[in-house]
Amino acid sequence: MTMTDVPRIATDHDRLPPVLAFGAPRILAGAAQDRRVDLAAHRTLHGALVPRSRGWLSSSLAQVRMKGRGGAAFPVSIKLDAMPNARSASVLVNGSESEPASWKDRVIMRQCPHLILDGALTIAQALRTKRITIAVHDAASARSLEQACRERSDASSVTISITGNAFVGGEIRAVINGLNGGRALPGGRRVLPTVDGIDHKATFASNVETFAQIGLLALLGATEYARVGSTNEPGTTLVTMVGDVPFPGVIEVPIGIPIASLLQSPPGDRRAVLIGGYHGTWVDHIDHLVVERDALRIAGAPLNAGVIARISADHCALVEVARVTSLLASESAGQCGPCFFGLPAIARGVQSMVEGAGSEPMSRMVRHLDTVSGRGACAHPDGSVQFVRSAMLTLDAELRQHTEHGTCGRIDGHVLPVVAAA
Amino acid sequence: MSTLRVDWTRCDGHGLCARLLPERIALDEWGFPIIAAGELDDGLVRAARRAAQACPALALRVDKS
Ligand code: SF4
Ligand code: SF4
Repeated sequence: MTMTDVPRIATDHDRLPPVLAFGAPRILAGAAQDRRVDLAAHRTLHGALVPRSRGWLSSSLAQVRMKGRGGAAFPVSIKLDAMPNARSASVLVNGSESEPASWKDRVIMRQCPHLILDGALTIAQALRTKRITIAVHDAASARSLEQACRERSDASSVTISITGNAFVGGEIRAVINGLNGGRALPGGRRVLPTVDGIDHKATFASNVETFAQIGLLALLGATEYARVGSTNEPGTTLVTMVGDVPFPGVIEVPIGIPIASLLQSPPGDRRAVLIGGYHGTWVDHIDHLVVERDALRIAGAPLNAGVIARISADHCALVEVARVTSLLASESAGQCGPCFFGLPAIARGVQSMVEGAGSEPMSRMVRHLDTVSGRGACAHPDGSVQFVRSAMLTLDAELRQHTEHGTCGRIDGHVLPVVAAA
Repeated sequence: MSTLRVDWTRCDGHGLCARLLPERIALDEWGFPIIAAGELDDGLVRAARRAAQACPALALRVDKS
């Protein structure tokens, strides 16, 4: 294992949030807020890692319909099938969890690092390459992964690389550009890592949770893996629950579980819920929603990186929306004009809504949302537009109170984090 | 069939393209191009190529689709 020579920017005075499971934990088995699963514990829980052929892996990934867990939800078997068999190919584990509200990837890296390594080694072996890179932006996760590599004898070719932690810097193409010595920003042309990745060679890149799930699949086999979850998407997934929720923290859930049962919401509950984090969607009807990537996408509220948040009835949600929108604006990487000028204009618009500015600034903001949509090199402008637009629709009653009285009378609870904890 | 595309990481908002191809390109309030949706009519492909060549930032291209 080698460390690349990049200065560490993150501090680690933080503590992990609570770690829980609905039903039996699989990814998080043996882990807790303050308990890391070392190699001995990992092997006791999961058994030995057996080598899996490329054919086995491809058909098992297809059989369990595994989708990428970083946000794009791309079918993992198709990604694998697009890779050549080559020594020059790379495996890239993206652990630069860049969304301030999300914790699940850091929980896996810090508490269950061996599942990630099992997954990355399984893919590398199937592709007949030894080149594995893990990109991380926080020191505590890097330390846990380094220690995990030292604990086992099969991880000597793993490189752990510390990357910048800007929101857009965690986007996979930005991570690859940074690793290749360029600026950690998305490029102007949409090239796939499977074609042009690390060192401009084919790269199988996915997020930390995806690799942990691949590790689990290799350890369990497809039949056992698919014993939980829904028919359309077997297995479990990790969500980060934030705010006025019964179980704040990182929770492993069987896919297909109703969001209302995670939130313990009575039928007909109309409290606003944010699904999919800061590129996500505010909704106020959750009775029909289940944690399943396809179903949520069809319902118009994609799960993205798995953040689900609710603001309590005593707290003002609009002021949270305004603060997150300014964060999104400040995270525009400044490469693309419409994103660079448009997102700050939108953020000013939301702020003036909070202050009760009325209909003129509102229609200007709606115009800006349309202007920014679809015009950037990455998903940041569209995700930001989705976040603001859905907030304006869902929080309309609150918005009216702000327009009429300059406030809704609720206090600012500072619920949605706007600084990435390390 | 051809479509106009902007590489947003290159475009500097010179606005030249909108003057050369007003049939398809408008400018937003910050001077960045808004490309009309859909395919280019055959009759406009040459003018679109000229606009792409004229872009000082090499940000505009005509893609065959
Ligand atoms: S769209 Fe925005 S965040 Fe994405 S690369 Fe362009 S300027 Fe950066
Ligand atoms: S001419 Fe080129 S740089 Fe100028 S606005 Fe058009 S695309 Fe952008």
